[in-house]
Amino acid sequence: MGVTTKPNRLEKIRTWRGSVPVWHQYTLGLAGERFFRELKDRGRLMASRCPRCGAAYLLPKLYCPACFVACEEWVEIKPRGVVDTFTVLHEGLEEEELKEPVVVAFVTFPGVKGGLVHRLGEVGRDGPAVGMEVEMVLRPERRGGLDDILYFRPVGK
Amino acid sequence: MGYKNRVAVLGAGLTKFMRRAQETGKELCFEAARMALDSAGLELKDMEAVVMSTAPDAFDGVHMKGEYLADGAGGFRRPYMRSYVGGGSGVFSVIHGWYHVASGHFDTCLVVAEEKMSPCMPHPQAAFNAIYDQFTERPLGVNLLWIFALEMNRYMQVHKIPLETISLVSVKNKKNGLDHPCAQAGIPGEYTVKDIMDSEVLVWPVHRLMVSPVTDAAAAVVLVSERVAKRMTDKPVWVEGVGWHLDSSYWTNRDLYYPKYVEYAARMAYRMAVITDPRKEIHLAEVYDPFAYKELHHMEGLLLADKGEAPRLLEKGVTQRDGDLPVCPSGGLMGVGNPIAAAGLMKVAEVFWQLRGEAGARQVSRPVKRGLAQAWGDLMQVGTVVVLGV
Ligand SMILES: [Zn+2]
Repeated sequence: MGVTTKPNRLEKIRTWRGSVPVWHQYTLGLAGERFFRELKDRGRLMASRCPRCGAAYLLPKLYCPACFVACEEWVEIKPRGVVDTFTVLHEGLEEEELKEPVVVAFVTFPGVKGGLVHRLGEVGRDGPAVGMEVEMVLRPERRGGLDDILYFRPVGK
Repeated sequence: MGYKNRVAVLGAGLTKFMRRAQETGKELCFEAARMALDSAGLELKDMEAVVMSTAPDAFDGVHMKGEYLADGAGGFRRPYMRSYVGGGSGVFSVIHGWYHVASGHFDTCLVVAEEKMSPCMPHPQAAFNAIYDQFTERPLGVNLLWIFALEMNRYMQVHKIPLETISLVSVKNKKNGLDHPCAQAGIPGEYTVKDIMDSEVLVWPVHRLMVSPVTDAAAAVVLVSERVAKRMTDKPVWVEGVGWHLDSSYWTNRDLYYPKYVEYAARMAYRMAVITDPRKEIHLAEVYDPFAYKELHHMEGLLLADKGEAPRLLEKGVTQRDGDLPVCPSGGLMGVGNPIAAAGLMKVAEVFWQLRGEAGARQVSRPVKRGLAQAWGDLMQVGTVVVLGV
């Protein structure tokens, strides 16, 4: 029985393609809506702050998951952070080889819980490094999504 | 029955039911869970475990939704589990939470149920297509409405129930929903049988106003052991019985006119609650009503009416809020809305509020000491039942 299920023997048995016939319309949520509006309209990063433990969340949360109270205070975060870790993508989602390797990093910001996972650009000959100081580069035309940030680049570029 | 702790419901919370919530599922969970904690007089740090119920991932469009929702439900840094039996999930969430506390493992458990159906396009019915058999049923373009229609017609034919009688469920529940502050805009109202009968036929004999709508919402309850309950409240509401049962998901191999699995789930809960005559000992029932006929169908499965007798009780007014056996005094799914898992937990919350005399304008006329909440779902073959009492 097992041999018929090997991918190269599939032509010997009847199979067909199918999918779950749905697509989705997502909302950003109350905290997300405000975060992305600020990013789009004013080009700034905002975090929400827990009134009880003082943690500032980026991406912002409507509530503190630890204290379980609403985070009503919002603070602006300087768009300059530190590379916590990074990786270099050589293949895309469908295993296709990328024309240029893409550097993706987790960027943290002083005094903030969380951070942003985003691309790194303009990393130069020495390449990316953990601990590297990076700054946000915005797209001139923004739509209110994570792609409004073009990438982060080393400070001083 | 071997369990260590007697379990009480200490608090409940419910968000507004909405057609298209801007809030994320996590944000809805937080709102409901925060309300439940406030009503119990406890904090998240007092919760030793958290359970979550939410129906298909395809609705929210987030794969592994239980994990995604965890921090909004307070599942952060504590034992957390998701349970899922489709439409039966909301009531099952309380059974799941009951286990946590009854086992003696935990003294407190926060139970949260969430559903955000509106992201699913073109309609959640499209996701339901994929619950059926890939090569016998799906090629026909099947959705849930079909199966409901087949079951409803079978039930109507066996007992000779006119469509007008089934319409009375819509009339009753939509009217009850007028008093529910969480009811979804546009659902409740004063309707006549004619209004229901004149609504668009979706899949005969199912008319639009016999179907509960797509909804976003969350609900939560706090379960505690007897030890905590006695310290925290003078009005404990006990989980007296729990029951659940599954039949074959091959729905063609059973008679659709009667939900045997609901009966077995009910018998299990009644045995635990030491109920021998449910018609006398159950004082109100939040019966699962995603479709108008299901309330009647389920009343029979719950042994609250003989087979074919539920329509007569409805016609006589027995199931009205001022009747002998109020059914869906909340307004139910037909009158408040149907955010799948959250709708089931809303029913448990309603029984809790009714037993504490805190249901406000929805409070039933007769004194009530014991009530039942029931849900149904999975592949139309699961029954879940919780009996609460004071
Ligand atoms: Zn906090």
